[in-house]
Amino acid sequence: MSNSGNGKFDVTRRGALKGLAASTVLATLPVRAWAQDVTLRWWSPQGSPDQVAAYKFQIEQFEAMHPGIKVVFETTSDEGYAPQLAAAFSSGEVPDVVTHLPSFAVASYYANGLVEPFDDVIEAIGADDYYAGANDVFKAADGKYIGTGIGNTAANMLWLRKDLMEAAGVDKAPETWDELRAACQAMQGGGVYGAPLPYGRNSMTSLIFIGVIHQAGGQVFTPDLEVDIDSDATRAALDFYASMRELCPPGATNYSWGESLTAFVSGASATGIYAGRVLANVNAQNPGIANSVTCVTYPRISTDVAPWTFNDFPSVFIPAQSKHKDAAKMFAAFLFNPEGYIKQLHAAPGHVLPVLKSISTNPMYLDNAIIKAYESEVDLMASAAAGGYNLGYESAAHKSNDKGGEVVGSGVIADLVQRVVLNGENADTVLGETSKTIEAIMKG
Amino acid sequence: MIRRVLFNLMAWAIVLAVAFPLFWMVVTSLKPQSELFRRPPTILPEVTTFEHYWRLLSETNFLTYFQNSVVLSVVTTVVVVSIATLGAYSIVRFKYWGRESLAFLVLFTYLLPSVVLIIPLYLMLVGLGLSNTIFSLVIAYTTFALPYALWLLRSFMAGIPEDLESAALVDGASRMGAFRDVILPQLLPGIISTALFTFILSWNEYLYALVLVNSDNTRPLTTGVMNMLISSFNVEWSLLMAASVMMSVPLIIVFAFLQSYLTRGFGAGGVKG
Amino acid sequence: MIKNKQTKLERHYATLGMMLIAPTVLVFCAVIVYPLVSAIYLSLFDIYTPTLQGEWVGLDNYRELLGKGEFWASLRTNLIWTVGTLSLQILFGIGMALVLHQNIWFRSLARSLILFPYFISTVVAVLVWRWLFNDLYGILNHLMMAAGLIDMPVDYLGSMPNAMISVILVGAWKYFPFVVIAVLARLQTIPDSLYEAARIDGAGPVARFFDITLPQLRDVLVVIIMLRAIWDFKEFDLIFLLTGGGPVTSTQTLPLLVYKEAFSLNNMGMAAAYAVAMMAVMLVFMILYIRKTGEKDA
Repeated sequence: MSNSGNGKFDVTRRGALKGLAASTVLATLPVRAWAQDVTLRWWSPQGSPDQVAAYKFQIEQFEAMHPGIKVVFETTSDEGYAPQLAAAFSSGEVPDVVTHLPSFAVASYYANGLVEPFDDVIEAIGADDYYAGANDVFKAADGKYIGTGIGNTAANMLWLRKDLMEAAGVDKAPETWDELRAACQAMQGGGVYGAPLPYGRNSMTSLIFIGVIHQAGGQVFTPDLEVDIDSDATRAALDFYASMRELCPPGATNYSWGESLTAFVSGASATGIYAGRVLANVNAQNPGIANSVTCVTYPRISTDVAPWTFNDFPSVFIPAQSKHKDAAKMFAAFLFNPEGYIKQLHAAPGHVLPVLKSISTNPMYLDNAIIKAYESEVDLMASAAAGGYNLGYESAAHKSNDKGGEVVGSGVIADLVQRVVLNGENADTVLGETSKTIEAIMKG
Repeated sequence: MIRRVLFNLMAWAIVLAVAFPLFWMVVTSLKPQSELFRRPPTILPEVTTFEHYWRLLSETNFLTYFQNSVVLSVVTTVVVVSIATLGAYSIVRFKYWGRESLAFLVLFTYLLPSVVLIIPLYLMLVGLGLSNTIFSLVIAYTTFALPYALWLLRSFMAGIPEDLESAALVDGASRMGAFRDVILPQLLPGIISTALFTFILSWNEYLYALVLVNSDNTRPLTTGVMNMLISSFNVEWSLLMAASVMMSVPLIIVFAFLQSYLTRGFGAGGVKG
Repeated sequence: MIKNKQTKLERHYATLGMMLIAPTVLVFCAVIVYPLVSAIYLSLFDIYTPTLQGEWVGLDNYRELLGKGEFWASLRTNLIWTVGTLSLQILFGIGMALVLHQNIWFRSLARSLILFPYFISTVVAVLVWRWLFNDLYGILNHLMMAAGLIDMPVDYLGSMPNAMISVILVGAWKYFPFVVIAVLARLQTIPDSLYEAARIDGAGPVARFFDITLPQLRDVLVVIIMLRAIWDFKEFDLIFLLTGGGPVTSTQTLPLLVYKEAFSLNNMGMAAAYAVAMMAVMLVFMILYIRKTGEKDA
């Protein structure tokens, strides 16, 4: 038997192995060939089952109106959208519509030419129908709009339990820090903690603490975007935050939105700091306290300082590299079509609040058990959120800050809180370093 | 005798301590939501419910993710093990230029942190028109699975006596004939063991899956479950624990059948550097 | 004549050998060498991640990195984590393998249970542990409080040194079964005659372990330690999902730093520089290690 004779057989065997690999490859390839003329990809990090159901309804309606256009909804991860979008942008394989990202993230993308101006979509939705100034946060330095809000969220409401307040003899909702501290002290005990403030190394701590700085009368940037965090107001905010530590659960050092929310909803803390999601969750998970839950804007250093509500302005925007911009714009505008839009809002009642005046008064919107039951709370959140700000837009006087996303993402503000409050480092030193870090981010 | 009993008790105490998180996972998944946040926690559920499992299967994309994970892991395993078996055979039993440094290179590629590979890899996959497909993940997974598989198989291969192959060659078999008839059967425990490791690695991978695919039709379990159940507003603990149990079931089954290969294979070759 | 034929055959074999390795080399070049080269290339630019556009800065990224405290702090954290979790894995792994090698009750069930942590996905492991660690509803705090060990719930993940200890322990729990698998396999191949001879010489169990078992395990341990050291050094998922690097930056290892630079700060160039530096560190350790263990062999 010669070697070459068997060699042939070997080759076919190798071929067979390759063939096996090839056929499995085929099985895993996408079925692009069956797609319709235009397929829009819609990304959002908000994909709870109820919300997805509402999105599906909107998609079906839209597809029925526009044969030939197909819309695919894809959930992105809440903490991980940055690498996902980075990969998408750098490759050009972008989604056509992205919703629910905080406005400052969009600003960063726009500043780098990745986002399509949104002015015509806002016109199509009806610019007059928005609450006054609702789109200011989306105005870029060049005067164009980078997107619009798909909803408002009042992220740092103070949630209260009327039953616990009564039992502890707290007769009114706290308006100042002193009152809040006193109330928490009175209500803490018997396994119930005062408040679930976040001290973790995450975006919630950063965002909430930015609010606290403002509630002390301070700011992170001046209106001209000079770093202004090294101030007495920030020191007061740190003092307040430190004094609250003993009123928070031990694990608060690792709290983010989920833990903080659960602590209040489960009854483990007497107050809460969150958006309207509390209402739906209390009713579903702990109906026993549903009747005694209410909310006010978060207390501040004194009544001289105006309340400051953090609104992350969940957005809608269209990536500049989208291959179907016209269809995407049509769809983005359609998202605000009352029937579907209201369904979407009802998927998280009181949490995502309408940005259009006509929707807030629409009887269909008001016809929801939770919105009805907590009418005054929902109204308060709606007005607080409409007058709310975030790091991309600290006040009406501030220029648009397209580095807000990076400042939050770097964790520098959460680090500030952790170093001063948890590690007990010298506030002056840490603030000096924090300023420098933020300056470096603004430059870089 | 008493010493034996004591030893057994002690051994089992440790085993149970190690397995406690597993037990707690199962217990949590069987508790109704209202019992979940009870303080202090109940050790055994007061009410046992399977509703979380039912909800996962009927209301969510769990089954799609599951199917994706199975396809993904199986394809990765087949591709990686096929390539690595041939490669290991070549490295161990053939002599040619660069053979030694190749083995070292394999180890070197091991040092790359996957965080950096992601973006260049993604660009390449998009260039190939593979973005958002299960196959893109198969390619990505070979980056970490292939070096390891090659490394393992190399030591298994080295453990097979060369005489066997020589004998076959003397009898007139070709190299590939000898490979098929002599090496492969001897290598089988090693192949199964390597396949198991590869399967485990791909079943459990998280970071690549997070970045490289973004559609529910192609997403595997790890990222699918995280995306679905952990969000800003809520961590769905009971559903998460139910999902965790179900994610682990296939591995338990595979493992129960092949457990002996896992250790036997290692022993036969001896893990030689 | 015969000699000539031999070399012809050898040449044929060499070609065949190359053909067999070809797929491996091809895949390596495509999925590993190419990204590696890109990483080094990217590290010479100042790049905005989502666009991958940027300008040439030469070695500036490296200069900045070496001057920055964050790199050295993360490197230190990384070493603490690697050494801590690796030694626990090895110690506990060998110990458990010795126990499981004995004829204990329901041995295969015990083996399955022990190997389990290795098989579950990191995501699952982290979630389960976060649930166990939970300050309010976590069973660990409850059990310890019930046993009277502590009065207040312990904050496992949010304060130091607890966070580092917790991460190291979870890492050890997750990965020690790998050591068990390898050591157990090797134990099964040690001939009983060696032990009998030692017993006749009057060696006790401890002496038998150090004189026979450990030297026999040496080869396998050399490899396992290296593989596990590389993996632990590169570990991302477990730490990222468990603490996110906190509190402050106490558990921020280099891979987490790379992630932060790349995707939170959108600085791909800098991230690539960190990654390349990290590789260099690992390479140095690896070469030292191979030298050291190789010397003893000779």
